[in-house]
Amino acid sequence: MNRAADQTEVNPLREGLSTRAVPQPCSIVIFGATGDLTHRKLLPALYNLAADGELPPAVKVIGFARRPKSDDDFRKEMEDAVKNFSRQTVRDEIWKTFSQSIFYHQSDFADESGFKSLAERLDKIDKEHGTRGNRLFYFAVAPDQFEPILKHLKTAGLNEAKKGSWARVIVEKPFGTDLDSARELNRVISNSFSEDQTYRIDHFLGKETAQNILVLRFANAIFGPLWNRHYIDHIQITAAETLGVEGRAGYYETAGALRDMVQNHLLQLLCLIAMEAPVNLDADSIRDEKVKVVRALRHFAQSDVGANVVRGQYAEGAINGKPVPAYRAEEKVDSKSMTDTFVALHLNIDTWRWWNVPIYMRVGKRLPKSATEISVHFKKAPAVLFNKELSDQNVLVIRIQPDEGIALRMHAKVPGTSFHIEPVKMDFHYGTSFGKASPEAYERLLLDAMSGDATLFARRDEVEEAWAFIDIIENAWSQKKDAPPLCFYPAGSWGPDEADELLARDGRSWRRL
Amino acid sequence: MPAPAENFSLGQPVEIGKIDKELKKLWREGEGAMTRASLINLAIYSEKPGSLEKNTQLIFRITENHACRALVIGVDRESKENRVDAWINAHCHLTRAGSKQICSEQISFLLEGPCTKFLPSIVFSQLDSDLPLYLWWQDDFPDPMDPQLWAWVDRLIFDSQTWKNFSTQMRLVETAEQEAKQRIVLCDLNWTRLDKVRYAIAQFFDHPTSHHHFSKMESVEVHFASGFKSTAILLIGWLAAQLNWKTNQQEMNGSCRFLDTNKRKIDIELRERPGPPIGDVVLNSSEVRFCVKPAKCGDLLEICRSSESESAVPQMMPAQSNDPVDLMTQELLRGGPHRVYLRAVNAVRQLL
Repeated sequence: MNRAADQTEVNPLREGLSTRAVPQPCSIVIFGATGDLTHRKLLPALYNLAADGELPPAVKVIGFARRPKSDDDFRKEMEDAVKNFSRQTVRDEIWKTFSQSIFYHQSDFADESGFKSLAERLDKIDKEHGTRGNRLFYFAVAPDQFEPILKHLKTAGLNEAKKGSWARVIVEKPFGTDLDSARELNRVISNSFSEDQTYRIDHFLGKETAQNILVLRFANAIFGPLWNRHYIDHIQITAAETLGVEGRAGYYETAGALRDMVQNHLLQLLCLIAMEAPVNLDADSIRDEKVKVVRALRHFAQSDVGANVVRGQYAEGAINGKPVPAYRAEEKVDSKSMTDTFVALHLNIDTWRWWNVPIYMRVGKRLPKSATEISVHFKKAPAVLFNKELSDQNVLVIRIQPDEGIALRMHAKVPGTSFHIEPVKMDFHYGTSFGKASPEAYERLLLDAMSGDATLFARRDEVEEAWAFIDIIENAWSQKKDAPPLCFYPAGSWGPDEADELLARDGRSWRRL
Repeated sequence: MPAPAENFSLGQPVEIGKIDKELKKLWREGEGAMTRASLINLAIYSEKPGSLEKNTQLIFRITENHACRALVIGVDRESKENRVDAWINAHCHLTRAGSKQICSEQISFLLEGPCTKFLPSIVFSQLDSDLPLYLWWQDDFPDPMDPQLWAWVDRLIFDSQTWKNFSTQMRLVETAEQEAKQRIVLCDLNWTRLDKVRYAIAQFFDHPTSHHHFSKMESVEVHFASGFKSTAILLIGWLAAQLNWKTNQQEMNGSCRFLDTNKRKIDIELRERPGPPIGDVVLNSSEVRFCVKPAKCGDLLEICRSSESESAVPQMMPAQSNDPVDLMTQELLRGGPHRVYLRAVNAVRQLL
């Protein structure tokens, strides 16, 4: 969104060709190059950008990992990965030239000499391939690896760019596991890279519909006057998936749904829905408004957590007619695990705009369908005339995934001589209206990082404010005495009954997805 | 029922006055199995015999990516018989997920004889309300143009490569644009044809450290296929407009000269060669050679920069297909005003 990022001198030949900031030539160093993220997301995203002509030719990719292998071995491995996971078919002609941009650098993350040789190699690549001293370091590794990598990058002088160049770091979630660890992680990062060099990636923000929330709100005059406590009754945000832990039990046992989804993705969506209009589309203007939403979240007293937050865990059940085991029976999961696979929350934002407008969030695994949606429920019309017997409200639904789109529910008269009113839906589907496939979130976000546009990346204060809010809930759950209970729900249901009660006591119910 | 996929017939004949009713019937019969979608009104006008069938095929392919209400108009002005025929049809495509059929409707008209002057009233009565009107005019524009028609057009699409006389035609569309108070966006498919080549050239200069080459440019060489000289001239016009070059010497045997703001000479060579509409494009600065050429596989461009101190490392980028559907798809995707186009035309108007 920040069109001027990094472009102090504008290329006159770009006028009319591109409405986004242009990515700059650079070396992208991926730490954890042999890992799943690199195989499934990063290299396929870079290939797709190259195939679409979006990637500057002088972008080079350097995989950094422990296992010994040659450039050619790594290229072959990446070719297989791209063939498996790319959204478009891999073409030999494109792969042949793109693969020549891929290199492998073998070193242990704890080995200082490996970083010195990396610096030499990057200098050589700059000279031979015109990457101009620009470096993008992508941390596709677990957070406990950050510190040695950052320390050695600094020792090797790679954290600072030469004059006229830049050095940036992209960090993958989780950004800590609580406020203290997030602060520590940020401290570690800030020892080597300043905040404006740091890009915390949240792939939800790279999704087309997430970006469209701002367009919907601020490019359409009709919603602005209605977007407040006077007209909105409540907001629901649902992120449901049918999947279980799928081999991620090791990580998930230490995280749970609250840390894995709410702290980052769902709060980011809430920010986009609830923020004030930014003064412009600069990264910091948008992020300034987003962080105000997180700051304004009403913090629970520990004793109130049980009444406002429901934690659940899936028991045995069935998904799509197939039996699935309970979470505690999954491989590598403690048989007495208290990990939350479902969370429902009742939140309030203490601002003039949102006073007394409840926000209900739910996220869970092994739910009946996979869908991420935001629904804005408007207040009922006065109970006179047609509305004496109506219970439905107008609802604006923003579907984030799958089947991205926007729907508006309203009332209409059923044709006939009697006066009967029914809800009808105006439905916009991205897939129906725009034939063009949306790029993958990682494609957009990688381009943004190469262009110096941090709009869709989380800032330090956003992350820390979010943890400050989440910690209260986690602390309440970990109390030895009077901790809110873990509620069980059968796999394939919409969560525990307590989640329904959370809304029922306010006279509301979850929207049927 | 709406017509099945890959049906290139004009569909069901209808009376002009009953088009709406028949369309409703068409959708009612297909309800549940398919979804009607429309983002724009896309009218195609042609006076070529057999154009209705040909354009129906194009619409079928265009609607794969751009749901619209298509109005396909075939006209025979010379006919003595006064006749208006109409047909309705639907083009359905499976969504990417493969679960739903998305359908666009097509209304076709054949106008013969004196009634052709009623074209605006016939077209406007069939527009899908509140959606923009894109008019793809496939022939030379008549002189004078009907101001009633242009008053409603949002984007006027044409292909200047097919024009017999560029300056006369351009004057007509510019007048139409002025009469519509600049509301019409002029969309020249000949300009769209240059999109990927322009993109490939532009990327050489994305980094500010490359900008000094602009003031060291010495020559530009463009190869073009037979019939695409105007495309090559538009490409030069784009460079001239964006880099502030002024014509210094009229074209002679494919050569001409421009001056930059420092009065430095830039020699232009336009050479006809077999191949795609635009073949090799080479920009020579005093230090570096910037080259964009079609790759052997046909749908990619090979780009490289080289100099005495720099070895050429070719890269691949997508090339622009010359297929009319691909050009239209590209044009419909782009949106927005085309200010650079008019500047490019102005920079080389006397060469076109």
